Amino acid sequence: MKTLLIKNAFVIDPIQHISGETMDIAVRNGKIVDDVKNPDEVIDAQGMLTLPGGIDSHTHICGTKVNFGRYMSPEDMRAGRTSRKGDMHATAGYSVPTTYGNSYRYSRMGYTTLLEGAMAPMEARHTHEEFRYTPMQDCLANTLFDGNWFALQAIQDGDTKRLAGILAWYLSAAKGFGVKLTNPGGTEAWGFGKDVSCINDPIPNFDITPLEIIVKMIEANEMLNLPHSVHLHCNNLGKPGNYMCTLDTYDAIPDINDKRQSLYSTHVQFHSYGGSSWNDFCSKAEDIARSVNDKPHIVIDTGQVMFGKTTTMTADGPMEFNLYRLYHNKWSNHDIEMETGSGIIPVVYRKKNLVNAIMWAIGLELALLVDDPWRCILATDNPNGAPFVKYPEVMALLMSKEYRDKEFETLHKSTGRRVALPAIERELTWDEIAVMTRSAQARALGLIDYGKGYLSEGAEADIAIYPIDVDSTDPARDYERIINGFSTTEYTIKRGEVVCRRGTCTLEGNHSTYWVKPHVSPAYDMSKDAAFIDGFNRYYSIRRANYPVGEEYLGRNVCMETEASI
Amino acid sequence: MKFILNTGRTIRQGKFTENKLGQGYAEETSRCYIHPLDLLELGIEEGENIMVTNVTGEVVLVALADEGLPKGMVFVPYGIHCNSVISPCTHGTGMPDYKIHEVEIAPTSEDRKTPTELLEQLGGVRYAGN
Amino acid sequence: MQEIKDMICPFCGCLCDDITLEIEAGKIVSTDNCCTIGNAKFLGKNRLKNPIKKIDGTWTDITYEEAVDTAVEMLLDADRPLLFGWSGTHGEAQCVGVHMNEILGGVIDNTTSVCHGPSILAIQEVGHPGCTLGQVKNRADLIIYWGCNPIEAHPRHMSRYTTYADGYFLDNAFRNRKVIVVDVRETETAKVADEFIRIKPGGDYAVLSSLRAILRGKSDMIPDSVAGVSKTQLMQVADMCKTCSFGALFFGVGLTMAKGKYKNVRNAIEFVDDLNRHTKFTLTPMRGHWNVYGANEVMAWMTGYPYAVDFCRGVAFYNPGETTAIDILARKECDACMIVASDPAAHFPRACVEQLRDIPLVVIDPFETMTTTIADLQIPVAVTGIDAEGTAYRMDGIPIKVKKAMDSDYPSDTEILTRIYNKMLEVKGL
Ligand code: SF4
Ligand SMILES: [Zn+2]
Repeated sequence: MKTLLIKNAFVIDPIQHISGETMDIAVRNGKIVDDVKNPDEVIDAQGMLTLPGGIDSHTHICGTKVNFGRYMSPEDMRAGRTSRKGDMHATAGYSVPTTYGNSYRYSRMGYTTLLEGAMAPMEARHTHEEFRYTPMQDCLANTLFDGNWFALQAIQDGDTKRLAGILAWYLSAAKGFGVKLTNPGGTEAWGFGKDVSCINDPIPNFDITPLEIIVKMIEANEMLNLPHSVHLHCNNLGKPGNYMCTLDTYDAIPDINDKRQSLYSTHVQFHSYGGSSWNDFCSKAEDIARSVNDKPHIVIDTGQVMFGKTTTMTADGPMEFNLYRLYHNKWSNHDIEMETGSGIIPVVYRKKNLVNAIMWAIGLELALLVDDPWRCILATDNPNGAPFVKYPEVMALLMSKEYRDKEFETLHKSTGRRVALPAIERELTWDEIAVMTRSAQARALGLIDYGKGYLSEGAEADIAIYPIDVDSTDPARDYERIINGFSTTEYTIKRGEVVCRRGTCTLEGNHSTYWVKPHVSPAYDMSKDAAFIDGFNRYYSIRRANYPVGEEYLGRNVCMETEASI
Repeated sequence: MKFILNTGRTIRQGKFTENKLGQGYAEETSRCYIHPLDLLELGIEEGENIMVTNVTGEVVLVALADEGLPKGMVFVPYGIHCNSVISPCTHGTGMPDYKIHEVEIAPTSEDRKTPTELLEQLGGVRYAGN
Repeated sequence: MQEIKDMICPFCGCLCDDITLEIEAGKIVSTDNCCTIGNAKFLGKNRLKNPIKKIDGTWTDITYEEAVDTAVEMLLDADRPLLFGWSGTHGEAQCVGVHMNEILGGVIDNTTSVCHGPSILAIQEVGHPGCTLGQVKNRADLIIYWGCNPIEAHPRHMSRYTTYADGYFLDNAFRNRKVIVVDVRETETAKVADEFIRIKPGGDYAVLSSLRAILRGKSDMIPDSVAGVSKTQLMQVADMCKTCSFGALFFGVGLTMAKGKYKNVRNAIEFVDDLNRHTKFTLTPMRGHWNVYGANEVMAWMTGYPYAVDFCRGVAFYNPGETTAIDILARKECDACMIVASDPAAHFPRACVEQLRDIPLVVIDPFETMTTTIADLQIPVAVTGIDAEGTAYRMDGIPIKVKKAMDSDYPSDTEILTRIYNKMLEVKGL
């Protein structure tokens, strides 16, 4: 029963409506409690901004695709190496660091929970193996269903309950957390080298459209009472003029959950493009933000782009091939039978490249134009828009018009004619930044019920203490202090233990994997469904019996059981 | 006569990998497959021994005919025999030239050695237990 | 008699997962669905009974505890230790190996460096358009085997994933699917191909370049024959590739070990890139050992590099050709070595074997191997897939749990390596 007392913390905890109060936080046995007597450890957090541990609700840190990014990129590995020191293992990599590299660097920024954005269920075991070596954060994995043959078949047959049963089986088998759709239908089309252009394009070999997939998946997701909503990477990513596709998608989303959003739309920057070609490429962030503002049942993350080298990786195989044809550097592709695709290419985002400059501006515009910070999450789709270590810079840009203007000066000269950013005066507040980096994630992922994202009694003691004195810091002017302060915590606390102190990780964080197990009625239990088992053994290249990931892969874990309505 | 030495996996070599010191593996990895016309030119019959030599070393193998090979190339299953004539030079790639060594082949009256004999020649010692 | 189904064969990169084992009195007595090689692996006998140590030139039986202490001493005493092998063990053990290497400041390399190391170098230059094997089974109407001989090296590859495997879009695979074999000799695989391209040794690069030129509409540049292949055949093959609806190119060490090495593979990858502008095409290296790909995966997420990682400067340093096992041994740089689940005395050039003989050498392996004879210490372990379990990665990256069929008194690789590692930490006061 270890106890800890954090004294005089300057707390912002939006879920508890605490907006900058100096208070003590008591911790017993990994949880926040009302009070502790004779604490084992006392931390004086006088003058330090104290927030719930950061949560990244869309990042690529573990699994087949991420690891292939490492495997194919010795140049990236060279760009960030540290040796074994104290309790820290050696690390390597900049945009796709090793698992320890990811874990330590996130921890130093105060992040305690990470959602891997795209896990093919067939390769789930790999993701979980890497989670094991990501010791400072709790991990969750979005599970890909965009091209799942059994799911597509059920949709084609109009059988949404069966669809829900299929999702339930795969989620439990893969030890996954949420339902992820990446370019729905497009990844299946890519199996024969094709793509779909938008939500009404029929999918080859299946008599359905992406729109039907999206809507039916949302319905099925809610039948399972999952903590998170459907998590969507829209069709047509990265193409000029794709904002219309995004708007049409949003217009079709039903509002069917009164506790949280019905759709999480990810890396929206990549889906907010105007123009008919790269020549007249421009921002349509205003249109997208307006649509989001009108639809309380949609939450987005921004997918901010920052300048420099990075690696793009997504399940969207056709998109990566298109990108490769623009960049001509190196291209990896990995289709996963009966499920999805994936692709990887390294990129450099340059300030003097007009398209890149516009992309940078769009991400910021979205964050500033969506009124409600609870529905606009800060993320770079790490590492697609930028490596996550850039988050503090993104925060500073959002908090300071002066910083934005200064950066804008350095961009391609025509950028101003294609974006709205220079005219936007809004500067985000401390509270809004806290919402966009942890509280909104906790709500959108349904993790508040599991004690995440807040700091009152009963919560998990995941706490980030930053060396930022809010009273004496004017973020609009002191943006350098914002960047430095958010880059390295004074203390990162995971489950009640200090796991990182001024950038040095001291302990393994006793981390957990969170996964869902929906209980469905026997009629929809696919493990007893003859047609499912037969199709599985016939068309997969591994046996159904060898497919599920056993709990031995998870170590400490939290099984989120739900009662499905089917 | 000069040949290109190609080495590679065979199903029998694979089958015996769990017992590399046994007779089966010894037999398989000391075989050298040669095009029948090349055998003719060497003046030897199938089943006779040959001496394979290059700057790296030498090894005695048994010659077997294989029409699937091009003339001028011999094939030897992976194993300790062929490695006697493989150079450790990798040209900066980490990979020796397992498939493209030039070797000289001539008939010989010497006997093939077993892997154990080759290892003993190197100073290796078998475990007598089990 | 007990029958266990859906077991995994721990021999080659096909990692077949449909094996049935029959067990009687704690022994596997027969297998079903295995190929000859897999069957031999499951029925393997003559395991070492206990650790052995060479004292004054003769082998002595010792206890596991003594063995662990000796291994720790030998490795900690070295300036430039090499930890080699890994493709024949499960991923969990490989992870321990990486941690061990961090504190030893040694080099950790896996057998990739002598099989598909050059393929990885090529992938690091131009990427890898690939897919899982089921994608091939369900969709591919054209298969190319280039410089590989699955009938001998991956005996069930053709029946499980390609030539004879019916799939969703090919209900009669053998008739609907064309198979091209490219090799310097007419292998068993070549004999069952629809089209056999025989290349003169060392001609792969030129033939690939010619095919790429034809694809790009430059066929008038091609002479009548390229490396022994007629222009007519090249034109025909280019056309087959361009007009198929899903093509899959599998390649083997025929490309990586031949003249040109990684440049051959690079050309093959770029050929596949080019084809993707016409149709769908993928490429897959035929990985040899059952978990060699897992060794690459584990080392990539743990160190950042898939093989040949040198920790002598504290940070991970990678330079194949310098930090690869063959080179370190050939330079006589390495002054102690631990071999895990591999038999370099059977597979390395003689000069490297001589260096292994001359330095302290620890072998972790269930069986007496060729390397045993030149080692100083061997610790027998359980066989993954029989009496030990763990994760392996198939040649296409699919992670599979290799299950155990029975318990035994042997420690697994993970257990023994963890003991060695913990002891090292203790000795070093870490
Ligand atoms: S093909 Fe390979 S994995 Fe399959 S049974 Fe044979 S040796 Fe084992
Ligand atoms: Zn993403």
